[in-house]
Amino acid sequence: MIERLQHMAKKVGRPLYGNRRLISYYWERTRRNKLAVFGIAFILFLILLGVVGPFCTMDPTMVDFEKKNLPPVGFTAVKSLYHIETDELTTTEIHGTWKHPLGTDSKGRDMLAMIVSGARVSLLVGLIATGIAILIGTVIGVLSAYLGGWADNVLMRFTDIMMTFPFFLLLVLIVFIFGPSLAFIVLVIGLTGWTGTARLIRSESLSLRTREFVIAARALGASDGRVIFRHLIPNVISLIIVIATLSIPGVILAEAALSFIGLGDPTVPSWGIILEAGQHSLDTAWWVAVEPGIMLFLTVLAFNFLGDGLRDAFDPKSNV
Amino acid sequence: MRKSWLRDYIIKRLIYAVIIAWAIVTITFVLVRAGPSSPADRYLANMTASGQDVSQIVEAIEARYGLDKPIYEQYAEYMVNLFHGNLGWSFSTSMPVIDLLKNHWIYSFQLILLSSIFAAFVGILVGIYSAVKQYTKTDYIATFFSFVGISLPNFWLGVMLILVFSVKLGLFKTYYDTTLPLFSLDNLKALVLPVMTLGTGMLAGYVRYTRSAMLDNLRKGFVTTARAKGLPERTVIGKHVFRNALLPLVTIIMFDLGSIVFGGAYLTEIVFGIPGLGQISFNAIFANDYPVVVAVTLIGTFLVLLINLITDIAYTYLDPRIRYD
Amino acid sequence: MNDVILKATNLKTYFFTRRGVVKAVDGVDFELRRGECLCLVGESGCGKTVTALSILGLVDSPPGRIVDGKVMYNNLDLVKCSPKQLRQIRGKEIAMVFQEAQSALNPVLTVGDQVMEQIRVHLPIERREARNKALSLLEEMGVPSAERVMNSYPHQLSGGMKQRALIAMSLTCDPQILIADEPTTAVDVTIKAQILDIFRELKAKSQMSLIFITHDLAVVAEIGDRAVVIYGGKNVESAPVSEIIANPKHPYTAGLIECLPDISQTTDRLTSIPGNTPNPIALPQGCSFHPRCPKAMEICSQRQPPQITISQEHEVSCHLYQ
Repeated sequence: MIERLQHMAKKVGRPLYGNRRLISYYWERTRRNKLAVFGIAFILFLILLGVVGPFCTMDPTMVDFEKKNLPPVGFTAVKSLYHIETDELTTTEIHGTWKHPLGTDSKGRDMLAMIVSGARVSLLVGLIATGIAILIGTVIGVLSAYLGGWADNVLMRFTDIMMTFPFFLLLVLIVFIFGPSLAFIVLVIGLTGWTGTARLIRSESLSLRTREFVIAARALGASDGRVIFRHLIPNVISLIIVIATLSIPGVILAEAALSFIGLGDPTVPSWGIILEAGQHSLDTAWWVAVEPGIMLFLTVLAFNFLGDGLRDAFDPKSNV
Repeated sequence: MRKSWLRDYIIKRLIYAVIIAWAIVTITFVLVRAGPSSPADRYLANMTASGQDVSQIVEAIEARYGLDKPIYEQYAEYMVNLFHGNLGWSFSTSMPVIDLLKNHWIYSFQLILLSSIFAAFVGILVGIYSAVKQYTKTDYIATFFSFVGISLPNFWLGVMLILVFSVKLGLFKTYYDTTLPLFSLDNLKALVLPVMTLGTGMLAGYVRYTRSAMLDNLRKGFVTTARAKGLPERTVIGKHVFRNALLPLVTIIMFDLGSIVFGGAYLTEIVFGIPGLGQISFNAIFANDYPVVVAVTLIGTFLVLLINLITDIAYTYLDPRIRYD
Repeated sequence: MNDVILKATNLKTYFFTRRGVVKAVDGVDFELRRGECLCLVGESGCGKTVTALSILGLVDSPPGRIVDGKVMYNNLDLVKCSPKQLRQIRGKEIAMVFQEAQSALNPVLTVGDQVMEQIRVHLPIERREARNKALSLLEEMGVPSAERVMNSYPHQLSGGMKQRALIAMSLTCDPQILIADEPTTAVDVTIKAQILDIFRELKAKSQMSLIFITHDLAVVAEIGDRAVVIYGGKNVESAPVSEIIANPKHPYTAGLIECLPDISQTTDRLTSIPGNTPNPIALPQGCSFHPRCPKAMEICSQRQPPQITISQEHEVSCHLYQ
């Protein structure tokens, strides 16, 4: 009888944990969602870009005023020059070249290199900041649900306060005061974005807490830590995965928005910074604004597709 | 009163709201004052260039604005003033903060209001239609577009709209013209692009949430009952299904409203140069004008708390099963 | 008493899902006569509810569809009616009461609202009159303080009250036919008895015909005039109730009767029919019951049994009687 209970607590309480059959089951369900597959494909492409790209492209910070404002390959732009000596305005057509396939910006920096560098930044920010936020959120959520009582109260009041703070304003404030270094930005985004996760994890943990397998484990004498780590957390893993995937776009956009309003790290070309520069040269070099935006858009879209697909795959009630 | 417990609940929430607001104001205050910069900074560059004795002048400026006092004294002074409704003095614009806010709130308000109405109206209708016609082509298109809508970076959309409609097509001006009278058609025209920018993200969200809330309810038992009663389909969907879908819908919308709308409005104002509260606070941050920053944060916080409270009260009317005891 | 007002012939309703075609109803026939109570009997999952829903065209249309058969009512084939025609019949001439009152009622509308909306969609009467009618119906159902119930929400009422309200709601327009889908299944025993009383009274007082769906033969014995036993989406046996209980011909019917516990005897184990209900996506070859049938013959796994008339009102689908 005791062995049966032990066996049950072990098996039932660890759905994804090393359970290969389950992982492939969820993978199958996700695969059927074409949009999610596109999402995965694009993310892989992005990772490739970010990891391998910088070795294949030029230095994104290399300035070359001779070659400024080149359009992308296949496009033509009009360059007007005012000659002071002759008081003439000459207009010449310039064409894109394969040397700078995506064109150059107003300082002659290669767009492709900058986009690649931006991919790196966005991926790093996305993964690390989300990682921090999810970690904090999960810990607070699980603790809050499990400990209950005044600990729960205090933690939730704290979460409420953080939640009510206008997120973006807080971000701007902190970054402005303490300086726009990339590492710091990542840290700050992570430290301010955990509130939603905490709430969701807490409510899921609360409902799990009263489920039979937890009661069974405790009846067998499992300590609090053991119950949390081997029973509660593995069950919320699927929830965590979905939350993480759906949080990454928000984080990437937050960094891009910060860069856009001028609070980004000036030493690292990120998509937001490029966009900001592009905003001012819309009539002469529209591609500077369009390219980073498209990348941002596709990245966010990819993560949203994937996150949605994962959520449907994990939900037993949806028929995929 | 039909719901006597509601009154107690509201009082409890209001007290709670005040406490949270106080906590947030304190945190903001500390953050701003803890920073290494001060309002005197903007004068520094000029002063050093003209070779004057910087430190003395900085001291004088700080004394004038009461910045040399220890921080807890400044804080106490600020809170006392706040209690009396005095929001302080804005250094960068040389006017009382309250006046600054009074001049600029209307721009934010009209932007957010118009965008919300546009987004809610179109979004909910499309969401309902999409849910009822699930698995049809229209549904797939609507769902796809809603994904696109929520993935578009808000500020980029604004820049793109400017690129296409102002720069290339010349239909609109690139920057918001503040000289236009508020209730004029021209003003409305000037707001088209900003509203589209802010509204698209919101709209996509509405479509998604409405659709999912409707789908959750479309297969429930009472829907079959309603049809078995011989009710016309539009009553079944519009009255029975939608009323039940309203509850999760309102939940998610209010959850979103606080975070996304304010962040989005902020960025939209900056892109289009609309002098609303977002723009003001942005300028204030760069000018180290802390009273303005704290004041705008306070307003934002209060609005979020208010919206949350209204939502929670609305719940009790939307779903009679909910009680706050 | 003898004219047929509803006749279903070879009704087939399939659900087209990703995993295959679910043949929920695969050739069901029955006749309902005026003033009689016809019981559709069978285990859960045999297609009884889908049959009832098919009559009124209430089957969830993207996956489900009536693929064959006729349901004749008043010289009208309900299967071929337009949605508009169906809407005029639903709730007014043919009404339906569902199994679980809590999920059948809309939780955010008051009971009164839900009862009155049915009245007002079919009958051209004023609000006040509709309200009075609703109130009197509730009282007839034995609902105490009907006024308070009208203003309440479903979750504020007890199970029995909800079921009564649901029944009252279905009777508002004096329908010719009432279809009751397992109204006694989801309630406890005392309420079950009360609800059966209500139905018995209804039968006695009015000319209304009743289609009563249940899996409980005891209920059939108490209230039914005729019974149609359904298994695997098809007819298995149909006869007057007294006949079918005294003289069941189909092994399944016999099995069901044996399953009824006899309170006067003490036993160690309850009898049950071995095996499980068939999976409607993959029905067994031949007679759907043959894997569980104690009298199965070789022909049973090969061919579906035809419908055989045993006596004037008694029909069976079984190879035993060929």
